[in-house]
Amino acid sequence: MDKEKIKSLLTFLIAGMISLWFLTPIIFITLSAFATSKDYYNPNYIIPRHYTFSHFYKLFFTLSAGHATLISLSVAALTILLSFLLGVPAGYALSRYKFKGKNTLKLTVLSTRMFPLMILAIPLLIIFMQIGISDTLWGIVLAHTTMVLPFVILITSSIFAGVDIAFEEAALIFGLSRSKAFFKITLPLALPGLAASAIFAFIMSWNEVFVASILTLQNRTLPAQILSTAMDSPDYYKFTAGFIMAVPALVFIFFARRYLVSLWGISLK
Amino acid sequence: MRSERSLAPYLLFMPTLIYLAVFLVYPLLKALFMVITPEEGTGYTLANIYAVLSDSTFWEALKNTILLAAVIIPLQVFLALMLALFVNTKFRGYMTIVYLITIPLALSDVSAALMSYNIFSPSGYINKILLNLNLIKHPIYFFGFNATTSEFWVIVITEVWRATPLVFIILLAGLQMIGREYFEAADVFGFTKFQKFIYITLPLLKPSLQSALLLRTLFAFQIFGVVWLLAGRDIPILAGETFYQQTELQQYHIAAVYGFVIALISILISWVYLTFLKSAKEV
Amino acid sequence: MKKFAVIGLMVLLVFVVSAYAVSAPKIYFVSTQMHPAGEREFMVGTLLKSFAKESGINVEFLALTYNEMLSRVSAEEKTGKVTISVIGDLHGGLDVMASRNLLQEVKGIPLPNRTFISTLEKYSVIKGKKVYVPWMQATYVMVVNKEAYKYLPNGLTKEDVRKPTEKWTYEALLQWAKNMKEKTGTPKFGLPMAPKGLFHRFLHGYLLPSFTGYEAKEFDSPNGIKAWEYMRKLVNYIHPASSTWAAMSEPLLKGEVLLAWDHTARIKPAIVQQPDKFEVIPVPRGPAGRGYIVVAVGLAVPKKAPQKEAAYKLIDYLTRPSTQVLVLQHVGFFPTVKEATGKIPTGALRILARGVTAQSSSPDSVIAMIPNLGKYGGEFTNTYRKVFKKVVLQKASLQKEVSAAAKLLKSLFEKAGTPIQ
Repeated sequence: MDKEKIKSLLTFLIAGMISLWFLTPIIFITLSAFATSKDYYNPNYIIPRHYTFSHFYKLFFTLSAGHATLISLSVAALTILLSFLLGVPAGYALSRYKFKGKNTLKLTVLSTRMFPLMILAIPLLIIFMQIGISDTLWGIVLAHTTMVLPFVILITSSIFAGVDIAFEEAALIFGLSRSKAFFKITLPLALPGLAASAIFAFIMSWNEVFVASILTLQNRTLPAQILSTAMDSPDYYKFTAGFIMAVPALVFIFFARRYLVSLWGISLK
Repeated sequence: MRSERSLAPYLLFMPTLIYLAVFLVYPLLKALFMVITPEEGTGYTLANIYAVLSDSTFWEALKNTILLAAVIIPLQVFLALMLALFVNTKFRGYMTIVYLITIPLALSDVSAALMSYNIFSPSGYINKILLNLNLIKHPIYFFGFNATTSEFWVIVITEVWRATPLVFIILLAGLQMIGREYFEAADVFGFTKFQKFIYITLPLLKPSLQSALLLRTLFAFQIFGVVWLLAGRDIPILAGETFYQQTELQQYHIAAVYGFVIALISILISWVYLTFLKSAKEV
Repeated sequence: MKKFAVIGLMVLLVFVVSAYAVSAPKIYFVSTQMHPAGEREFMVGTLLKSFAKESGINVEFLALTYNEMLSRVSAEEKTGKVTISVIGDLHGGLDVMASRNLLQEVKGIPLPNRTFISTLEKYSVIKGKKVYVPWMQATYVMVVNKEAYKYLPNGLTKEDVRKPTEKWTYEALLQWAKNMKEKTGTPKFGLPMAPKGLFHRFLHGYLLPSFTGYEAKEFDSPNGIKAWEYMRKLVNYIHPASSTWAAMSEPLLKGEVLLAWDHTARIKPAIVQQPDKFEVIPVPRGPAGRGYIVVAVGLAVPKKAPQKEAAYKLIDYLTRPSTQVLVLQHVGFFPTVKEATGKIPTGALRILARGVTAQSSSPDSVIAMIPNLGKYGGEFTNTYRKVFKKVVLQKASLQKEVSAAAKLLKSLFEKAGTPIQ
């Protein structure tokens, strides 16, 4: 009995320490993002006592982080759109058909991951300059789609594999065409999983900083803007910017927590 | 699974292939071309490669990148394994802990670096706490030209904090796939807990461990945002030098060489892991 | 019939209004200056807002690095799709753009009631062509927290430093920095050494000209070697966090350093916030004289710029004495027109202006201009930083590194087609 108690106490303690380790940085940056500068620099206040929204106001409206945020959001949305348009059919083909060269194709998709984005960014900049889309959000969208596409294919193929083919076959028997069967039966069933993978793609694009920094000058995404300006700006800028960058990630983890294990399980195979 | 001879799967795959050819294969070839042609003028040259290899900063960057990987990866894998084993005991409320651990999973390196700066900067929380406890009189400087050692360790801590969850989630998925019957059989044979771990858990976890390792190694050689923001060029790294050559010095062809070095290392690592995995499966 | 007329009128009105909305003038103003967050905030939130109110012209302000800007301006010129109307850049950058024939001549723009400072006016005419309108000028000086005067070395007085006399030397600086470290426990002298800081300007525009008389020409001369030997000694008394500082005003305000060197614009916030605490002083001198950089910033117009009239109005607005005083007040760039100089209010600006004037009127001046090396500008500054890192921080062989760097610098000037300076 006593041993049980000690064990559960120990579990509780370890769990507490783990939570503390993972939460503290996030709590601290939240405090710093809202604290008045005076309190932040006051060495006597470990926890600031006065809070303000003025850092956010300055950041968004006068330091063009608002513009950068809009660009980041549009880039992520367009990346999802493009990579799904390309990747969902391919994922569907991988899950529903047996065909010659299937393994080769799968391996091709997988092998793209061997090439880091760093090597792509440099030639892409020159190509985009030549065709006149350097420094536009389309350039970043195209590069981010290259990054996200393999993941979308692998994730969607396993999501479709999880939707029982019997439903689709039943629909075929009832006289629906194959495309109708897909749109009426399979797609709705796969929708929650697809939504989760869309958020996954969103996060990948939202977080990407290297390519975005190289491809754009004026139409910078939020992380690119932060990377280029944070370290010569006052401290509050750093923390408010870091906080804003973190928000979608936190929201994502909250909503996708049911899918976390399976999503990452698939994407990391 | 449909196996009738049909063009459908190829047609469904066509857009992806075309896209990857245009935006992956072509740029890669272009990068290769940049590596072997001069910045100005025509013809082929090895001058870019020579310029990089004879620059001591390159070797410093290579050394630092490898060193960071060598410290960070084992730490992450070890911590992630401990966390996964702990969580897998499925105590009451363990899902909450899983949720908390996974929070940094979706955070960007930029965001994580700024969080770290918030804690370690001269007026950051560590210094505030130490000053308040009267343990120090002057703030400790974790960042600076003669603080590269502490910069290194702050980067390690930040990366461990940020990316351990990734390894954790792979290992947890792996652990959850191990069937209960193995452990029941082990009970019959009277295995101790430690024996169970060594003879059942570890071997069955091997594929997950391997894929986690591969992934982390690939990412480790692309480390950029955390180092760039926290240490600038105090600690040169491969991706950081690529970035510096490209954006500050505008030496595109030299930057391409740096990028290629990262790509070559990535390919090499993947190849080593893949052959390793294959042979392990065949046994 | 009446109904139709009303509808017709309304449609017309909608057309007119929307056409007006579409054609509401908006011009692009790219600048390599005013990048730090606070400066950009002032530019967009104060200056351009009041200009828009006055003229009805909206200005989109784009902060680009020099290389980014040059590639953009040349690309636009090549494709013929020019979007930029006004360029704000350093003398050196505008010189390069002018030599590539990217800029139009800006003679004859109506700029009433102002007289440009003659030296700046002279610099803005390149090969007989008026390339830009002088907009702002700046330099790099030292800021001292008055507390630091307590630690002045023997034989050096406040007056020597303020004036400056020939006693205010790099050797004296070394002694001063040493005293501060020994008496306060931590180094109290700071330089902006972060990748985005301007430390390289200290090396090529202050240290080397003071020791050798030139920025690069005498790099590996015996005096050049002495300059680096000097840095090896000084580094022990430089605040180690310097490599994380891109601008010195924050560390000055926080009291992390008592003595600092930086661009006038980047120390300005500290002096404005606590004018009683700080003084601006000239830089020290070396064996060859008192080396320092004069930064001239000009406004230029690309050859095929759209909305030229709006561009001229913006240039008129930005070079007005009242605007120039505002810029000095908020950003720390000094006026380029004589009329503004008399209007400088008391307080922080006086402090700045006094230091700058003392420096520029020092008889032993060795003036350095940032060289026009075009795309090699980055490699040029990187060379100085690299030598510093190798020789001073990593204690590599001085002679070897310095002569290798001297060769490289020479080749950079040759490649850029600029006489070595």
